Amino acid sequence: MATTVINPDTKQVGNVVPESKPRQAAPVTDTGAQKEWTATQRVAFRIAFIFFIIMCIPTTAEWWNNLVTINWFHLHYRDLYDIARFSPSIYKFQTPAYNLLGYIDWVEALVIGIVGGLIWTALDNKNKQYHNLYYWLRVVVRYRAGIGIIGFGFTKLFPVQMPYPSLGVLNTHFGDLTAQKIYWLSVGIVPWYQVFAGVVELAAGTMLFFRKTTTFGAVLLLGALGDITYVNFAYDGGVHVYASYFVLFSAFLLWYDIVPVYNLLIRERFTVPPVLIPEINQKWLIVTRIVLKTGTIGIFLVWLYYLQYVNFKYDPYKQPATSGIKQLRGNYNVSEFKLNGQDIPYSPLDSVRWQGVTFEKWSSLTFNVNKPLNLDLSNGGGAAMRDINRNFELTGVAGGKRVFYYDADTVNKVLYLQDKLPEFSKRKGKRGNRGGEKAGDNKLAKSFIPAEAKANIRNEVTAIDPAAQSTRRQRGVPEELKDKRKRAHMVLSYNADATGSHIVLTGKDDKKNDVYIVLDRVNRPYALTDSKLVAGKY
Amino acid sequence: MSTLTTNQTKWKEYEKGAFRFFFIYFVLQALPLDWKYFGNLFRIQWGSLGFGDIFYISRYTPQFISGSSTPGTWGIGTLADWAFIAGIALIGAIVWSIRDKKSENHNKLYYWLRVILRYRLAIGIITYGFIKFFPLQSPLPSISNLNTSYGDFDRWKLFSLSLGIVPGYESFLGLVEIIVGVLLLFRKTATLGAIIILVFTGNVFISNIAYDGGEAIYALYLINIALFLTVYDIQRIYNLVALRKPTAPNTVKISLNGQWRTSRLVLKSLFIFFFVFLYGYKTYAAYHHDIYQYPKAKGLAGTAGLYNVSDFRVNSRQLPYSQTDTTRWNDVVFEKWNTISIGSLKRYKADAATTEEISKNNDDRKYELDGTTGRAYYSYVADTVKQVLLLKNRNSNYKADQFTLHYTKPENGTIILTGVDHNKDSVYVQLDRINKKYLLQEAAQGRSKALKL
Repeated sequence: MATTVINPDTKQVGNVVPESKPRQAAPVTDTGAQKEWTATQRVAFRIAFIFFIIMCIPTTAEWWNNLVTINWFHLHYRDLYDIARFSPSIYKFQTPAYNLLGYIDWVEALVIGIVGGLIWTALDNKNKQYHNLYYWLRVVVRYRAGIGIIGFGFTKLFPVQMPYPSLGVLNTHFGDLTAQKIYWLSVGIVPWYQVFAGVVELAAGTMLFFRKTTTFGAVLLLGALGDITYVNFAYDGGVHVYASYFVLFSAFLLWYDIVPVYNLLIRERFTVPPVLIPEINQKWLIVTRIVLKTGTIGIFLVWLYYLQYVNFKYDPYKQPATSGIKQLRGNYNVSEFKLNGQDIPYSPLDSVRWQGVTFEKWSSLTFNVNKPLNLDLSNGGGAAMRDINRNFELTGVAGGKRVFYYDADTVNKVLYLQDKLPEFSKRKGKRGNRGGEKAGDNKLAKSFIPAEAKANIRNEVTAIDPAAQSTRRQRGVPEELKDKRKRAHMVLSYNADATGSHIVLTGKDDKKNDVYIVLDRVNRPYALTDSKLVAGKY
Repeated sequence: MSTLTTNQTKWKEYEKGAFRFFFIYFVLQALPLDWKYFGNLFRIQWGSLGFGDIFYISRYTPQFISGSSTPGTWGIGTLADWAFIAGIALIGAIVWSIRDKKSENHNKLYYWLRVILRYRLAIGIITYGFIKFFPLQSPLPSISNLNTSYGDFDRWKLFSLSLGIVPGYESFLGLVEIIVGVLLLFRKTATLGAIIILVFTGNVFISNIAYDGGEAIYALYLINIALFLTVYDIQRIYNLVALRKPTAPNTVKISLNGQWRTSRLVLKSLFIFFFVFLYGYKTYAAYHHDIYQYPKAKGLAGTAGLYNVSDFRVNSRQLPYSQTDTTRWNDVVFEKWNTISIGSLKRYKADAATTEEISKNNDDRKYELDGTTGRAYYSYVADTVKQVLLLKNRNSNYKADQFTLHYTKPENGTIILTGVDHNKDSVYVQLDRINKKYLLQEAAQGRSKALKL
């Protein structure tokens, strides 16, 4: 393979603007001084080369495990998304301060780059320039950044990354949300704006796949992700490292053109741009290139588009996918509340009595109690398959709101409810993690639904539209069922009129108290208007 | 005055034609020729110039047809103005082309048109930049806002509130706008500035549409200008960056001599002084002394906070807590300024302001209630001797709603209000302060710690 690298100088071109194509613009015979890099440039390049290669290569077992276990005939959007989404993960310290806000892996990659670059310098005194390597490094970075941002962009093009607020969240006071939540919601309320943001990210990513448009794509990427990085710092969004990963890449890609553009626009000089274009002549190389490029575009633009559409339509990943009981949906006042037979009158200050009940369109019941609760302050992301683990409706939300997932035995009219927030482990300052190491009483959590009721409860795996079925879901649901964390649970019979406007709940609450609760639906108008562009099918 | 040019000296006919059209079009768009604008200009009291005055000066758009006399109202009619201007430009360009057979190019005019547009765009972006840089445009949410349900705000208000909770980020956005504006003031950096505006104001434009804001057309106006400024260099950039061909720079420069040179220096300095330094200082002062979105008048000392309505009596009849009674008050907020807001089950027709307005008058500063239906907002005048509050509904849909209440503070954290309300019913209201902890503030130190709230 011969790579022709042309780096002509102003002298050769004179003051006439040549119409010729860059490949013919300058004589290749002109070797020597102009093509040679300074020692500093060479060392810097070697360090940068190693650094960026480490940044671009997935190293976690998780990523590779995902890659090799994918069932390509039964894909879920997340399979491809997980291929697209990685960032270096080398070594994390136990002490959070040492991790430098999450940038420690970058520092480690840089250290490896410096050490490697110096060794390389010691060993290599033959090469005076690395035009070829620079070209291919740019290719690697272009594709890494392009694929990564496209993975992100599709979750916005089909607006699922930031869902429209659930009823429970609409009823939460502004001050009872975290800044992170407020930012995510502020995009979630305008799905068309989210689509626009997705278009920008996709456009940037797509432009990076092509040499001619790379610089424009990099400018767009730098602008968009620079802002998102700042947003993540400002709102404590938690993905500042990954956002700035793209800023770093776009800055690297722009490096190539900064000086020429500066010379042309600011210094108003006649400018001859550096040109790095490989000449690929061998047939097998031409074929390989076409296959790889078409493959990348086919998988990450076409296929992912389709998968993301299916996800948006039937299984939006941040909100539960299965529908709740159709009859029971909306906002309810608690007209009557009896605890162990004792009537408790309404008071906004009462710490036991339920207030502001909602049944969401999916299988969630929420209500407020006026007492402090443990909170989940995560950002509600992740790739949960089970609805109970899709917690966007409760993360970053305070104000005494409790959110329960329910399985419904619609024959006997019984709801089997589980708190979507797992009970906190005793260890101080440690929130329960999914699949936490403490062996909880998993059997208890499962067995509170009697076997005969289970026969009447729909199968969680197949409860979504067949079009959205995937191997990932078939594997994921049983896997998540092994979850060891304890959850509060309730068993409540429901008795509702035909329209569901009047409901009586009776049974045991999470503290084993007998409850008798009368709910009456209220028409609660909102100043916030929703959009017709809604994710999910309920 | 002499012109130094090595750009192409002979333009093609269609280039000249197109230029003549755009020249007239953009001159009419950018230069203040609309008499209505001057009416506004003459109302400014130059002795007590506020930053709001400069802000309004910066927002000139021609409104020959749509005819609004206040700058800052851009309805769909604004587009009719644009069409009208385009019509004039078209006729003008035809007449010009017929009469002018001699000109080989319009390099000089192009240069001056770019000067006009650069400065027009610069002030448009700088004035918005400073009210963000000193976070005035979206201030921190009021106590009432914190105690309003998310769904009780409209989109535009939520957009503003979401920005308001992160003053540092708002400052950053403002800084970007200021820097971009300054880039436009210099010929060599103008294209760079215009490109950044396309990205930045492009986003503002889409946001205005998505969030039902009222400044989409104005954003589009600025984008138009930025686009025209970018076109000048776009071919060069494409040639260099995409085609990777050697590229000649812009070479049209106007070099001024003597008197012209001095005038330019003076004008440019004056412009920068007025729109950057003076305006910047005025916004800085406002940030420290008078955030224009909220009333300036102080509220009753030591009352700011959220109160539960623990006792509520109408005509001596006690109303218990209720989830259905729309007359009973549920909670009351005293702001630091002279506003109280009442939370009840009653829903109000919202005042909705979607454009940025700056008022010296307290009554017109309605940011706290714009775009929200959740609570009733009253401004008050307190007679601290007689202990009387004169309440007036701030919402323009409920102007008649005015009444007087007597207040006492029997103990710390308790306020008792008595009097006759807007329904002419006598009321007795006991307010008990709630020591409310807001997650928004409690989680400000980071989300990695466990929190019980």
